[in-house]
Amino acid sequence: MRSRDCAGSCHGDSSTNGVSTATLDIIPQQEVYAGLLIEVETQVGGVEVSDMRMVGLTLLSNKDGAKDLPSNDGWEIVTDPNGGVNNYVEIIDDFSIQNTVSQKWTLRAPTSPGFYELYLGIQHGSPDGGIAMVGISESAQITVSEMPENLPRLSPEWTPPNVREVGVKTTIKLETVNTESVYVEMKRGSGIVNLSVVDNEFTIPAAINPGVVEWRVIMQGEGPDQQSPWFKLTAQEKSWDVDKTVLYLQAISLFLLCLGLAMTQKPIRNEELDEIETIESDLEEKYSSGVPAIPQEGIPEGWTMEQWEYYGQEHLDSISRGEQL
Amino acid sequence: MISSGTLHVISTELTVGMFSLSGIAFLFCLIKKGPVSREAVAHWALFFGLLATPFAIITGINASSGGELSNPLLANKVLLSMTALGLAIGVLIRSRRGGDIDATHSVLGLSSVTLMLVTASIGGEYTRRESLLFFLPKETVPIFPMWAIIAIIIVGLFLISKSTIEHRS
Repeated sequence: MRSRDCAGSCHGDSSTNGVSTATLDIIPQQEVYAGLLIEVETQVGGVEVSDMRMVGLTLLSNKDGAKDLPSNDGWEIVTDPNGGVNNYVEIIDDFSIQNTVSQKWTLRAPTSPGFYELYLGIQHGSPDGGIAMVGISESAQITVSEMPENLPRLSPEWTPPNVREVGVKTTIKLETVNTESVYVEMKRGSGIVNLSVVDNEFTIPAAINPGVVEWRVIMQGEGPDQQSPWFKLTAQEKSWDVDKTVLYLQAISLFLLCLGLAMTQKPIRNEELDEIETIESDLEEKYSSGVPAIPQEGIPEGWTMEQWEYYGQEHLDSISRGEQL
Repeated sequence: MISSGTLHVISTELTVGMFSLSGIAFLFCLIKKGPVSREAVAHWALFFGLLATPFAIITGINASSGGELSNPLLANKVLLSMTALGLAIGVLIRSRRGGDIDATHSVLGLSSVTLMLVTASIGGEYTRRESLLFFLPKETVPIFPMWAIIAIIIVGLFLISKSTIEHRS
């Protein structure tokens, strides 16, 4: 759900926005009863957009920029043009100066009869880029009437499904009021086919590819016959799913493994370091004092350490030269 | 009121900044060059990066419109961040126990930082559909069979307990 004011926050300072040249229209159905589903068509024409050909459309209840969500007046978005339940949609289509692009929304009318207004906001890029263009339509004035008591209708609590998975047939259970017989029509290509309804249930065949099917309910009873708006059912590829328990367990296992691996790198303990440092300093002291290292067989027989300090190096040199002492 | 998205940007930049600093310091440790303070900087930055990580995760989940795990990228984020977390905590514990900052230690620290930065980059790929790391896995999530997960948990716990016993003895 989105207020008109969001346009400024999403596209920088709203004072830098340009004014859209788009011609905007809202065409509601003629009879609107309180609490019932209605179809509203919105039209966008005469607009130059960016290369992306994308336009953002917002259905609003006033043009003040505050408390302008349709829900503030009691409207409920049942199906937006993209198959969601939002008052803001982004549409990519053949928008141009010459073309008029139509979209259909399914709304549930406010439960209180009265006079209501709806507006269509637009935002889009410009062919040259760098500036956000915004605009808003004139008000569409809708009179919501009290519902006749015996009017065949869909139950106020019932809501049509908007999405389903590709390859799965969809069984829909209808909930009706004051209805003696009911049948369902579905658009197929350029024609319309009837779907059999048994115990208020009917089945829409599985979709082979992602796409939209449109269907509506025709209700007959004591009151005048009624038909619902065309409902859109969007088939989508199965959304990505993962077993969260397995994923979290695997994350924990990787955490423990890496923690263990890092900790297992055996640290050199301080005592060992001290010992190594002591040996190194002893050796350094010994060599720096000029006293030759004592060979494995020891100092020559009869020598004193004092003699070794003075004549030891000479003794070692003569041994290395192979001289007999 | 600050939105979750803004809070997420703040906490993410804090986390990424700390881990980047730590990574540079670990690189100096590896080549044994640079200022004397490199070891302290590497470990303290890693520590503060770890402190900031939970805030980044929580604000990220709140800011995500698609729910908790609606995309393979998010699942990969979970796996990578937990791996990085394990390495980082292990490096800090080893350092705390008086371990020498040798090449292995530096490489472990660098690996942890790299994994965490890749995790952050996946966030960019998720929100803006673009990242410098073009090789990031976008569609696949490596999920192990349950027996392998249990085996890894057992090996991990064994390594931790072995290391702890060796340290105490």
